Amino acid sequence: MRKIFAAIVLATLTIGFVGAPASAQENISPAEHKRLFREGAQLWPVYCNTCHNARPGSEKAPYEWDLIIMHMRTLGNLPAGDVRALVEYLKAR
Amino acid sequence: MPGRRIFSIFLLAFGLVALSLVGLARAADSDGSAADLKEIKSEMRQLREERKRDREVIHSLEIKVQQLETKDSKVETTTQQLHATDQKLKETTVELQQTNAQVQTLQTKVDAPIAASEFGDAISRYLGTHSFTVAGAAGGSFNYDQQSGALDGVSHVSQNSFFFDWEPMFLYRPTDWIMFEGVISTAFGSTGTGADLSTADFQIFLNDYMTVVAGLFDQPFGDWYESQSPMWVNRFVTAPLPFGAEAVVPGGEIGVQLRGGMQFGALGQDVDYTVWGGNGPNFSSNVLGAAVSSPTAVANSQTNGKSIGARFRIYPLPVDSQMGRLELGASTYNGKWANGNWFNSWGVDFNYFIGNLQARGEWMESYRQMPEGMGSDNRQGWYVQAGYFLNDLNVPGFPDKLNGYLHRFEPLVRYSGVNQRAVSTDDIAGATGVGQGGFQTGLVPDFGINGSPATYAPHAREVALALDYWITPSIVWQNEFDLELPQNGGAFVSPSGAVTPAGPIPNDRAFLSQFTIGF
Ligand code: HEC
Repeated sequence: MRKIFAAIVLATLTIGFVGAPASAQENISPAEHKRLFREGAQLWPVYCNTCHNARPGSEKAPYEWDLIIMHMRTLGNLPAGDVRALVEYLKAR
Repeated sequence: MPGRRIFSIFLLAFGLVALSLVGLARAADSDGSAADLKEIKSEMRQLREERKRDREVIHSLEIKVQQLETKDSKVETTTQQLHATDQKLKETTVELQQTNAQVQTLQTKVDAPIAASEFGDAISRYLGTHSFTVAGAAGGSFNYDQQSGALDGVSHVSQNSFFFDWEPMFLYRPTDWIMFEGVISTAFGSTGTGADLSTADFQIFLNDYMTVVAGLFDQPFGDWYESQSPMWVNRFVTAPLPFGAEAVVPGGEIGVQLRGGMQFGALGQDVDYTVWGGNGPNFSSNVLGAAVSSPTAVANSQTNGKSIGARFRIYPLPVDSQMGRLELGASTYNGKWANGNWFNSWGVDFNYFIGNLQARGEWMESYRQMPEGMGSDNRQGWYVQAGYFLNDLNVPGFPDKLNGYLHRFEPLVRYSGVNQRAVSTDDIAGATGVGQGGFQTGLVPDFGINGSPATYAPHAREVALALDYWITPSIVWQNEFDLELPQNGGAFVSPSGAVTPAGPIPNDRAFLSQFTIGF
């Protein structure tokens, strides 16, 4: 078991310790923004209602969504692409 | 005007000369007959009259001329004014042209990429690159517990208590791929004010498929600890039995997780995994049925290694299918405790929601190897629950406002149960706060647990009915009625290891009312 545990830690540290932006939305085209927004609007009532009542974008400031979406991504293991769409939608309120 | 007057005098003179010339001619023409004279006189009269008329005409002409002159001067003033205006317009145009040129220069400056980035920099400097926010929850409740029955000689005591719980959560994000989460639980419960660290971990987003979580965290086993336990998230005031007084799996762990998720089909069809390792499980004592407790704080209290856990979930329904969201999960958590004895557990769970209906349930089992041939300490736990939002209920004849209030209600029902071979009497005495010479020593009833001794039956069963009133998605007033329906079977074990079979255990009723805000 010790070996398994060590393997997990090792794998974690070795496999591309690069740091993937969790929710960065910079440098994308307006068309891409629009696509993400539309997808986010489609996902929000489904994903965000899975564990608790879906909380609307207007509840938090855009910078807070950058934090909270990371938290939700961890809890829900949400696919990264979907997270980018959701944060786009949430920030637009 | 003198010119005109000269002209009229001249006209008059010319008339007289002409007249005298005619008179001369006539005089010369004849010798002056009376008839001729008469004719001349009448002609002179005519001429006088004509002259009078001419004067009148001249006078009226003079008046007209004067009028024309006034008009003319007016026109001249207007023309001058027009000229002035025109001049001003010309000047303004020049000024405008100059302004335009200035605006254009400014625009070129603004449009220049260097200026835009300068602006962005200014904003970033103002906000900082590190961001921080506080969330969490606060709740106050009143618990009434009938405690009609007692366990193992514990006296009958009613519990009527207020509780308050505040769990601030701090989220700190130094970069776009690292976050820290810390939750402090503070409560005023049956033992007075207390605070403890319930979660503190780093979340490091390695790539799209891997996130490392390191620190003190909720056990990722099943759905409840990690995603249902916060008080504004839980649809009920209390925890289902397998996560309350008689937990089947420890509620937290200190260690490292690796987790992530991905889409495997259409949008919404996802799979995800969580694997983790930590210090391992701990128990309140070495006797059968001893309660699981927080993670082992000191590594050397374990003789043989750490814990390891894994959890997988699948969401088979695409978002487009309009068939709702279904989650199916499976978990396992294994480790060694105290003297190198095994602890193994596994569980399955589901969660489904469509429209106003939400249902979830879990089933789990744990096996705890006991020292010195005591036989294993097996436990099973389960719950199923369903709730329905009255969003679309419109009672005919009710005013809109009343129907509006009705829409905020969510009635719920939950059935949960636990089977344990035994229960430690120490846990009961320490927890219920009754029977120990009359003073409160324990932790229960406390936030999320109704305090009924029947929840400590080896074969506890509970039906919980709840009516939630949702003010916003995270502000709720919850009312819950619990019916404890313990089954016969199992045993109570004293700290010295003495085993007493559990006889019939009285049913119990409890009512809880709680107001909660999720930040
Ligand atoms: C896997 C379950 C799960 C999913 C999916 C989920 N949440 Fe959460 N969410 C939680 C839990 C659990 C908490 C409470 C965390 C705590 O108190 O420790 C929470 C808390 C929050 C909070 C309070 C702030 C915070 O960070 O705790 C907000 C806001 C929120 N969720 C919004 C969302 C939105 C928006 C979505 C959809 C993108 C979402 N959640 C999806 C489980 C989930």
